[in-house]
Amino acid sequence: MKKCRLYLDLGNEERWLTEMAKQGLGLSRKTVFGYEFRQIPPQDTVIRIDYRNFNTPADFEDYRMLFKDSGWEHIAGTKSSGTQYFRRTHREGETQIFSDTASKAARYRRLSSLWLSLALAYLPLLISLIYSGTVDPFAFLNPRLLYYTPGLWDMAGESFLDAFLFETPFAIIRGLSWLLFPALICLCIAFAAKSEVQYRTIKHGREGGFE
Amino acid sequence: MKRDRNLPLTETVYYVLLALLKPAHGYLIMQKVEELSDGQVRMAAGTLYGALEALLRQNFIKPVQTDDSRRKVYVITDEGKRILRLDCQRMSHMIRITRKEGLQ
Repeated sequence: MKKCRLYLDLGNEERWLTEMAKQGLGLSRKTVFGYEFRQIPPQDTVIRIDYRNFNTPADFEDYRMLFKDSGWEHIAGTKSSGTQYFRRTHREGETQIFSDTASKAARYRRLSSLWLSLALAYLPLLISLIYSGTVDPFAFLNPRLLYYTPGLWDMAGESFLDAFLFETPFAIIRGLSWLLFPALICLCIAFAAKSEVQYRTIKHGREGGFE
Repeated sequence: MKRDRNLPLTETVYYVLLALLKPAHGYLIMQKVEELSDGQVRMAAGTLYGALEALLRQNFIKPVQTDDSRRKVYVITDEGKRILRLDCQRMSHMIRITRKEGLQ
């Protein structure tokens, strides 16, 4: 069974996945589009999420073995997926994968640097689009630049209205597509800032940190 | 005298370094830390993984070759021993001076 959801908060995501497991839906795969579940016997377990990428398959294997040995089954995530999902296997075991606030906070720091590096990755793309003339940044200040019809703004009366209305849908599409990268960059920076705030909140203990 | 900037070590880092005087893999380190600390320090998996990563970066521990291809085994380095000894001396001084000031 697939469910399409987007979580921006790891804590909320953990709670939702734990609830799903209690209802007999075990997470089997996480993709960019959502979550894949399989039927499992309903279980009183805990799902936790770590955020990490690995350089080598051996590093990834060692990481998963450490969690396995200490009572956490790795249920979803790959070497470079970032989010790593774990299910508690022993009823009497720990309910947390972090035992101090510094390491609990550090997870958000890693998440924040991911969003920031994504924003930085889009930036050269946007700059090259501007330099190649594909995107005109001044159009965001002066929407007239979105219209390409030669001499459009010198026309008058009905001929202006005809040409203007004819091109408007194209101008809107052009404007929206030009907005795509600036919007993506802003979004990534916003997520990076959110994670950074969570990191600082937990680190300085304004939030209890542990549930 | 200028103090080493890595001092004082946190309680968990101190116990992890102490546990690694003999080579051990991740889970073994967790068990040893709990045992050495009389059950006071219990490290969760994510926390230990992050701590090992930091200690590797600081050159206080190093990986050793073993037959187990799935679990990495680590041991303390000379630099790690040096910092552990310094922190031990720091704490011995605190204990000595506390007694001397009359607190039993």
